[in-house]
Amino acid sequence: MSYLDNIRNFSIIAHIDHGKSTLADRLIEKTGLVEARDMKEQYLDNMDIERERGITIKLQTTRLQYRAKDGQDYILNLIDTPGHVDFNYEVSRSLAACDGAVLVVDATQGVEAQTLGNVYLALDEDLEILPVLNKMDLDSARPDDARAEIEDIIGLDASEAPEISAKTGMGIDEMLEKLIEVIPPPQGDPDGKLKALIFDSYYDSYKGVIIYTRIFDGRVKRGDTIRMMNTGKNYEVTEVGYCIPGTVPADELKAGEVGYICGSIKQVADARVGDTITLANAPADAPLKGYKKAQSMVYCGIFPAEGEKYENVKDALEKLQVNDAAFNFEPENSAALGYGYRCGFLGLLHMDVITERLAREFDLDVITTLPSVVYKVVMKDGEVLDIQNPSNLPAPALIAHIEEPIVKADIMTPNEYVGSIMTLCQNRRGNMIHMEYLTKTRVQLHYEMPLNEVIYDFFDALKSRTRGYASLDYEFLRYQPAKLVKLDILLNREPIDALSTIVPEEEAMAKGRGICEKLKEIIPRHQFEVPIQAAIGQKIIARETVRAYRKDVLAKCYGGDITRKKKLLEKQKAGKKRMRQFGSVTVPQEAFTEVLKLDDGR
Amino acid sequence: MTADNMDRKRGIYIHMPFCVQKCRYCAFLSFDAEGSPRKEYTDALEKEIRLRAELEKKNGTDKRIDTIYIGGGTPSVMDIASMSEMVKTLKNSFDVEPDAEFTLEANPATLGRKDGVMLAKLQAYKFMGVNRLSMGVQSMDNDRLHYLGRIHTAENVARDMDIIRRKGFGNVNLDLMFSVPGESGDDALSDLEKILAFAPEHISCYSLQIEEGTPFGEMAESGELTEVPDEEDRETYHRICRRLSEAGYEHYEISNFARKGEDPGAPSPYRSRHNSLYWNMDEYIGLGLGASGFVNGVRYKNTSDLEEYLSALDAGRLPLEEEHKNTAFDNISEAVFTGLRRREGVRYEDAVRAYIDTDDAGKKNLTSYADFRDCFWEIFAEAKEEAFGYAGKGLLTIDNDGLKLTEQGIDISNSIMSLFV
Repeated sequence: MSYLDNIRNFSIIAHIDHGKSTLADRLIEKTGLVEARDMKEQYLDNMDIERERGITIKLQTTRLQYRAKDGQDYILNLIDTPGHVDFNYEVSRSLAACDGAVLVVDATQGVEAQTLGNVYLALDEDLEILPVLNKMDLDSARPDDARAEIEDIIGLDASEAPEISAKTGMGIDEMLEKLIEVIPPPQGDPDGKLKALIFDSYYDSYKGVIIYTRIFDGRVKRGDTIRMMNTGKNYEVTEVGYCIPGTVPADELKAGEVGYICGSIKQVADARVGDTITLANAPADAPLKGYKKAQSMVYCGIFPAEGEKYENVKDALEKLQVNDAAFNFEPENSAALGYGYRCGFLGLLHMDVITERLAREFDLDVITTLPSVVYKVVMKDGEVLDIQNPSNLPAPALIAHIEEPIVKADIMTPNEYVGSIMTLCQNRRGNMIHMEYLTKTRVQLHYEMPLNEVIYDFFDALKSRTRGYASLDYEFLRYQPAKLVKLDILLNREPIDALSTIVPEEEAMAKGRGICEKLKEIIPRHQFEVPIQAAIGQKIIARETVRAYRKDVLAKCYGGDITRKKKLLEKQKAGKKRMRQFGSVTVPQEAFTEVLKLDDGR
Repeated sequence: MTADNMDRKRGIYIHMPFCVQKCRYCAFLSFDAEGSPRKEYTDALEKEIRLRAELEKKNGTDKRIDTIYIGGGTPSVMDIASMSEMVKTLKNSFDVEPDAEFTLEANPATLGRKDGVMLAKLQAYKFMGVNRLSMGVQSMDNDRLHYLGRIHTAENVARDMDIIRRKGFGNVNLDLMFSVPGESGDDALSDLEKILAFAPEHISCYSLQIEEGTPFGEMAESGELTEVPDEEDRETYHRICRRLSEAGYEHYEISNFARKGEDPGAPSPYRSRHNSLYWNMDEYIGLGLGASGFVNGVRYKNTSDLEEYLSALDAGRLPLEEEHKNTAFDNISEAVFTGLRRREGVRYEDAVRAYIDTDDAGKKNLTSYADFRDCFWEIFAEAKEEAFGYAGKGLLTIDNDGLKLTEQGIDISNSIMSLFV
């Protein structure tokens, strides 16, 4: 019998909120690796933002030891997966490191869009899937319905799915036994040429980049020179070991095992997820399949706010990039906002997380501009430009046509909301491909939609129209020609580049009007009239005016309460610091993000 | 301390937080007079007066009192007997100048229903030493008075003024409120004409401010009430300023106008001496619930909780809520923004003295006006460019002596003042 027979490499897959992280916590606790007193809520989600939002962005991986009822000790490598559509590629690479997956289905909710999306990703990696029904401690659990949904929608036999409560620990032992039975042990040749999959990495200030890896063939130890097969870079291994969790050094890692490798690597981009590690002096013939370069889908400008130093922003972005291969940035100069950076993200959530970390971890005051997707601009001379910054859009006369990214959006919903979802998608230029009844009451809608329509607030709109019941999964499909125009915003007749957007021609009028109205609310009155205009090229399509003269006088200091008056003046002064000066017009910094929240009832 | 400061006198402000009925716009501290512990309150006030006076004597910082101002609320709803006791205690405890200005706020229709009662009440105030009355007229339109939640009518005002004059009060202020929802500029000017007919020595004019937490505040939020647009409000204000100037009043502070004396070139003798303390960085002792004071370089505020106020004094403690020892910058900053409320503006020298006279702010050898000017702009270097920007737009006058707001500048006085905090 091989050592491989006592290893199980698995992931837990679930829809957001279905209890993945709680289950991981319970497993860690159960197998005694972390003392109960060290247990934080959701051990694996180690960023505050993740814990607050109940989502996992950065992976954690853990080696568990479990003595099964057959008396044997098993190594269970739990490989966590990020839980959001923005991180599909990362999810797929984590799954590729596994031999099976535990599918957690909330017994009170049933199957959701992401459940299905993640199951498909797991099936693509040829994984055995063990369904389990979670939240069985709740009165509202309906295991029979959930079981039926798993069978009808996913097509897995759920008759023996363990019923558990990750919260209370109920049914966890039975689940582990079942896991050992259902999920196959890894295969691989420890004496073959090294092939190790990078499924995650993070930067440690002492050790450099720490690579999480699954060894498929061969072995690796300290002192070896490794080569990244896709990037071609070589590094000397300084340490290998297991994640128990944390990093515990070991002599070597060999085929079938999961662990970490350090090699004085400076930034995570050099150890890209999906790349294959081999030995420089005895390389494998071909890398593992599935490697993709990180591709930013959404861009926005990040500028230091008034009083914030450009250098501080740069330092912070560099630090974030060291740990996030999917995040990139380059300097940008805006006439309105000065020097800043154009930043690329996997999606809107990724963007939110980064901007929030800038504020929280680095205590920075930044202005983020309207997010934009990448447009392919086909010029009349045949040249094709990638444009993600509206300011860089060439003059309309030079453009043959513009193409925008289209995504395939799958929405799963209880059937009573189909009508309102269809209206929503139609208003967002969605094109319905088909609709299917998964069960009598659950429907899946398949749409093709411009990514541009999804990135603003589509998810929020979807949730609010379905009382939170609908779920969304989307992925990039193709580029498609569209009638798009650049919408400029002028304040006091001066165009403000940071407020320009690229919009569909037919919506330009409504969008322009909406932005002008919003700005009218935000921009304080001046001693002169401030016209706010929306324009396409030279043509003004909407106009609002901030009337002149704001009365700004307090009549009395009652009973000599000078202190109160002073506090009011100090507050006013502090408020002014958060303003930006554009020529003679003063604009609050919120304006740049507030125009995003354009609730036009669509 | 400079010789100039030695001569400076103090004022006393006393707060009376009781009203017959709270007005719908009012965000100030007041309770229904009926059923409130008014007697306990004046008893507590007497204790506070004695405590304050003892403290000042002990510290050797007591000074002569040049002004007394009893405000509210509605001081005229207080029982004459207890008021009189309190004033006696005040005069026994502090060294009040014989010619001190002594103002009492009174609301129309609170001085008594019968003429005889009114005359007797006013006589009692005279005995106490009150020599200036400030009447909360607010409007001369009965519908608007009702809308504001005032308890009086225009007829009450006429009758009160008649009796006040008969009683020989020769220094009377009338408050006028404008920009009440639904009120036009013409309405406000017509109110003003009716007020001018009483030939008051002093007029206070201010626009209604809708405050949160008042009935008007709630009505504004629900859309039940539409505020007068800023443009109209400011136009009315400037019309009022013009009319009062024609009528021989001196516009000596943003919202205050004093009838000119015999020498029209000299400052009016009817300026409120007490309120001027606030704008000159002079000292005043605040007494009573929620009252503010500025004594020995410290700004303080009393508690606004009536129970706490009474129990603190019961226990022989001053009912302080906060105390703040002004820094040199606090002093100059306050000197500037309060000084800018005066039409004369603030002189560099006065502002800079408020700064360098503060403890360790450093004695500088400043003699010429240019020294003070340069020192001033050194302290406010950050504000200089914007201040001169306002000057360029005709909103602020900056000359060799100091700065003052123009009449247009008043409209945005807060923006300008906030440069200096």
